[in-house]
Amino acid sequence: MVYITEWDKFAERSIELFRADPESTRYVMKYRHCDGKLVLKVTDNRECLKYKTDQAQEARKMEKLNNLFFTLMARGPDVDLSEVTGKDQMEAQPTKKGRGRKQ
Amino acid sequence: MVQLQLDPFLNELTSMFERSTEKGSVWVTLKRSSLKSKVQRNKLANAGEAIEYRCLIRATDGKKTISTSVGPKDHQRFQASYALILKAHMTALKKRERKEKKKSAEINKREVTSKITKKKS
Repeated sequence: MVYITEWDKFAERSIELFRADPESTRYVMKYRHCDGKLVLKVTDNRECLKYKTDQAQEARKMEKLNNLFFTLMARGPDVDLSEVTGKDQMEAQPTKKGRGRKQ
Repeated sequence: MVQLQLDPFLNELTSMFERSTEKGSVWVTLKRSSLKSKVQRNKLANAGEAIEYRCLIRATDGKKTISTSVGPKDHQRFQASYALILKAHMTALKKRERKEKKKSAEINKREVTSKITKKKS
């Protein structure tokens, strides 16, 4: 299985995959504490997109993708995501500097 | 599979994360589902009724599986609590080294900024 290395590409293609077939696309997160690894997978049983990371910072990006998928799945694939993504952008900007201070 | 209410699900998910710190993994799956069998769906479709979809959430640690579902009304509350649980338990992921190595902080900073610019491009 080939992992996608760029986050933006992974996020974009996952959403596309879901929109193409909302009923059979699933989004799986796997977290392995002892190895400190996080793997995300999106598949419709035909195509499979995977992303792997060990960075805490990436978990924050995942949180945004989680929120997108929750919205898409609970409200339907035609929902307007600008509300969610717009908020994300606003949140993302102040966190760009001074990361790690939150903890 | 029996579905849990939101709060019991979140509690159980928390203990799954706590149980798997030394070994094992936790999987969480999100899927859009009508929570009905194909037969039931066909019946509804034939009757011309709309099929209601929800977001099904399943979690497993390889031994036990739990599930719940959220709809348009409650997904925001759930995703906020879910994000908190993840943040609290995904502590094995690497942070950027800064505080611990103050001496090499400058070098790190350079590395970090070059990484950022690489990512942006």
